[in-house]
Amino acid sequence: MVSTTDLSARPKPHRTSRRRKAGPPLFAYLATLPTLLLVALVVGLPLLYSLWLVLHRTNPITRKTSFAGLENFRIVLENPEFWDAFARTLYFVGFSLVGTTVIGLGMALLLNTAFRGRGIMRSVMLVPWAMAPISVGVLWSFIYAGDFGSLNALLNDLGLSALTMPWLGDGARALNLVALTHVWNQAPLTALMLLAGLQSMPSSLHRAAMLDGAGPVQRFYLITLPWLKPSLLFVSILTIINALMAFDIIWIMTRGGPGQSTTVFAWLGYVTSFQFLRFGEGAAILYILTALSFVAAVIIVLVLGPRRRRAARSVDLPADEKTSLGSHGSNRIRRPYDLPAPAIRPALLSPAVKTWLGRAGFRLGIGMLFIWSAVPVLLLLLMSLTPATDLIKLPASLVPSSVTLDNFKAVLFPDGGTTSTQAKRVPLSLLNSFLVGAISVLIAVSIAPFAGYVFARWPKAKIFQAGLWTMLFTRMTPALTLVLPFFVLFRMAGLLDTRSGLVIAHLSILLPLIAWMMKSTFEGVPKSLDQAAIIDGCSRFQMMVRVLLPVIRPGLVAAGIFGFLVSWNEFLFAMILTSTPDAQTIPVVLAGFLSQARFHEYGPLFAASVLSVLPPVIIAFVFQRYLVQGALSGAVKG
Amino acid sequence: MSSITIQNVSKAYGDTKVLHSLNLDIHEGEFVSLLGPSGCGKSTLLFCVAGLEEITDGQILFDGQDIAARNPRDRNIALVFQDYALYPHMSVRENIAFPLRRQKIDAETIHGQVNWAADMLGLTKLLDRSPAELSGGQRQRVAVGRAVVRNPAALLMDEPLSNLDASLRVHMRTEIKRLARELGLTVLFVTHDQEEAMVMSDRIAVLAGGHLQQFADPMTIYRKPSNRFVAEFIGSPTMNMLPDAGHPGAVTLGVRPHDLTLGGSGGFSLDGRLTLIEPAGPHYFLDVEIGGAMIKATASDIDGLAPGAEVTLRAEDHRVYRFDSTSGAAI
Ligand SMILES: Nc1ncnc2c1ncn2[C@@H]1O[C@H](COP(=O)(O)OP(=O)(O)O)[C@@H](O)[C@H]1O
Ligand SMILES: [Mg+2]
Repeated sequence: MVSTTDLSARPKPHRTSRRRKAGPPLFAYLATLPTLLLVALVVGLPLLYSLWLVLHRTNPITRKTSFAGLENFRIVLENPEFWDAFARTLYFVGFSLVGTTVIGLGMALLLNTAFRGRGIMRSVMLVPWAMAPISVGVLWSFIYAGDFGSLNALLNDLGLSALTMPWLGDGARALNLVALTHVWNQAPLTALMLLAGLQSMPSSLHRAAMLDGAGPVQRFYLITLPWLKPSLLFVSILTIINALMAFDIIWIMTRGGPGQSTTVFAWLGYVTSFQFLRFGEGAAILYILTALSFVAAVIIVLVLGPRRRRAARSVDLPADEKTSLGSHGSNRIRRPYDLPAPAIRPALLSPAVKTWLGRAGFRLGIGMLFIWSAVPVLLLLLMSLTPATDLIKLPASLVPSSVTLDNFKAVLFPDGGTTSTQAKRVPLSLLNSFLVGAISVLIAVSIAPFAGYVFARWPKAKIFQAGLWTMLFTRMTPALTLVLPFFVLFRMAGLLDTRSGLVIAHLSILLPLIAWMMKSTFEGVPKSLDQAAIIDGCSRFQMMVRVLLPVIRPGLVAAGIFGFLVSWNEFLFAMILTSTPDAQTIPVVLAGFLSQARFHEYGPLFAASVLSVLPPVIIAFVFQRYLVQGALSGAVKG
Repeated sequence: MSSITIQNVSKAYGDTKVLHSLNLDIHEGEFVSLLGPSGCGKSTLLFCVAGLEEITDGQILFDGQDIAARNPRDRNIALVFQDYALYPHMSVRENIAFPLRRQKIDAETIHGQVNWAADMLGLTKLLDRSPAELSGGQRQRVAVGRAVVRNPAALLMDEPLSNLDASLRVHMRTEIKRLARELGLTVLFVTHDQEEAMVMSDRIAVLAGGHLQQFADPMTIYRKPSNRFVAEFIGSPTMNMLPDAGHPGAVTLGVRPHDLTLGGSGGFSLDGRLTLIEPAGPHYFLDVEIGGAMIKATASDIDGLAPGAEVTLRAEDHRVYRFDSTSGAAI
């Protein structure tokens, strides 16, 4: 009944005004077209193919392929290995979630305090996250390595040789250490998000709570944590997705082993598809992984999401701005209770001691932050400067016999005789990485902002909402799902082993990413600017190019830098879609060092790792502002 | 309620001195405004009293007791922040109850006390809303409620009305003053709005650049400004200044537009050319050019006057203020 009265009460729309409000202008469609087309091509097509894969089975003997319905899912779900991997995945995700949240929160609280050198410490904090997971894996697998590993070397140097062990040799320990490494890589992302949340908190909140009698611990739980809830919600979802998709470091550090002890879903999907070549089942596992991401996101939203207050909105009170305060008559108002002043708490410590303790604790925290973030990276640098023979000396020691640039010479200026084939690939791979990154970013940055603009300005139009959701969905789709279709399609198109092929593959990540970032950026630009430009005689296109793009240039730069880093660090596509050095990027070459079965060339490996880490480190220090802005507006890099 | 004594209080951030040896003596139950232009150190002084900032030098006494060693939460001070600082994730009820909860008061007392405050502030129907669901004026009342609910030794307010629209601001200043009087609160009220300070305060402390300029009741400040800064800061439109510089002992004359009238009486007179007439309701403001300077005056009647006319303005001698041209001090 209510609805009918509502309907009849609503004025009938005028025909002319309806026509005018018919929807976004043609420009909006044209602006999104390139992005959506490309996304459909580089994401949609492979997804369709993987959908086909998951619904078909290939007879291994006759090599005949037939429609199998959900058979692949049934087989996967009946496999006990799947459930073991499921349990490990949950453990890994739980470990990462707790680890990144606790450590990230600690880092954010430290870096939210003003102190000299805060900017530098923030850059230092960002380095483990800016590094490629492959480099992270190389670094930590050497730290944990059996004979020559740095951790064992350190123990030897400290006279604790009895404690040395092959750290990744034991199953449960390996899983924990890989998860810890993942936490090391991911915690800065959490810290960054929480730091942004903390910095938007008005200082008056804590001051008010202080005056209201809340101590530091109470303020943390009653003020800071609730304030951070939305950030925590968001970052938890991100952390869970990133943990579910963690693949690169497992590839480097344990390859699912020892035994099956680090075989999580992503790895199981990879092995099933690319080692056992059971593409249908592999795809099924990866679809289950995608579903898990969704379920996790929903659970987090239910747990941490905004609670709706009952009836709060439905009560519409009359405007009562000009209320009279105090007694409404002439009597003096009385408190119902005569509250005594709160008792003054006797101070346990004198203010001076308290200040001193606070300062000491803070310094300790900063010291720990430095050790956690920078020391492993400095160790990598030290190892790259250590003569190759020292690295495989027994008993291992952290102290090099001398410092040398030979390792860098070996990878940067390979000569015919002494350098190994793998080391010779480093210079070209650096060039490849750079070219692929730069070109993908250029393409993405020249078309995605138009889509981002439309998404920001016409958020209600169904068609653009659909586009946006597609982009979000790609974020929850493991790259593993896309890589096999890419491989097949590229083989048909002759794009394997080409940089163009890699550019296309990376665009499948960068386009949604940058469109999303640009959407957030444009949301911060007032609409009146568009209107002013149009009134001043610009066409929509001119408005974009002449007015809006210059306005959002910092956001554009941030997106570019961020996108470059993503491409530079990308491993999976680069590995599967290349097989010769022609188009291999630096992460692939790094991984290649480890695949050389017998001979581990640690010297050149570390030199190459340092080179691979150099651009991310430079970006973390020089373009920190852009990197942070990029992370916050896109918040999508793993 | 307590009295607050501020003795030789100085405050510096590193090398920049923000407060310079201030002395203020605020009686119990008194309503004192800290008035000054933005950046002059008003909030800093408030935060020093509350214990949120440490003072570099001097003493602050509550009821004669030095409170330097006391934490902010042991000073029993309530502060209404400029942005209200309502806890965004708590309902209005939880916000108001927050300080009582921290004192571990029993639930029944808290309930009664919160309802009392809500009733007094007209918030009863809003108790279950969250701050985001309130208008600016309602938020401001919640902030006041949270401040007065616990019987504080003093109520400090940092420009609490500056975020309200003009007519509500005028309404609320009367209401807050009345509330403070009825509850017998000692209030330290920060504002940069001279009119607000005039109508609300028992006494006004005028600050400039961290120095106390004058501390007196509103009419004394208005009628007997201690220096040129106070004279120009108080009163609207601003007092006319007729400078006479260039020689030692030079004197600048000041006269308020309201005291300088067309066709009035008095021994002080100025001749000039009328350039603009601004109707202001009860009277007109006249802009008169006198020797190259613009002077504002008032007239109750402008019959037959038009811009360009030669006019004579008069003021009573005792309404003409004299300031030392170099030091600015009143003579
Ligand atoms: N934490 C701080 N560090 C350095 N200077 C400060 C700090 N807080 C305030 N100031 C300076 O102290 C002066 C007074 O500030 P404030 O008390 O906020 O002024 P008001 O409230 O009167 O506008 C300003 O010049 C301001 O720049
Ligand atoms: Mg202020």
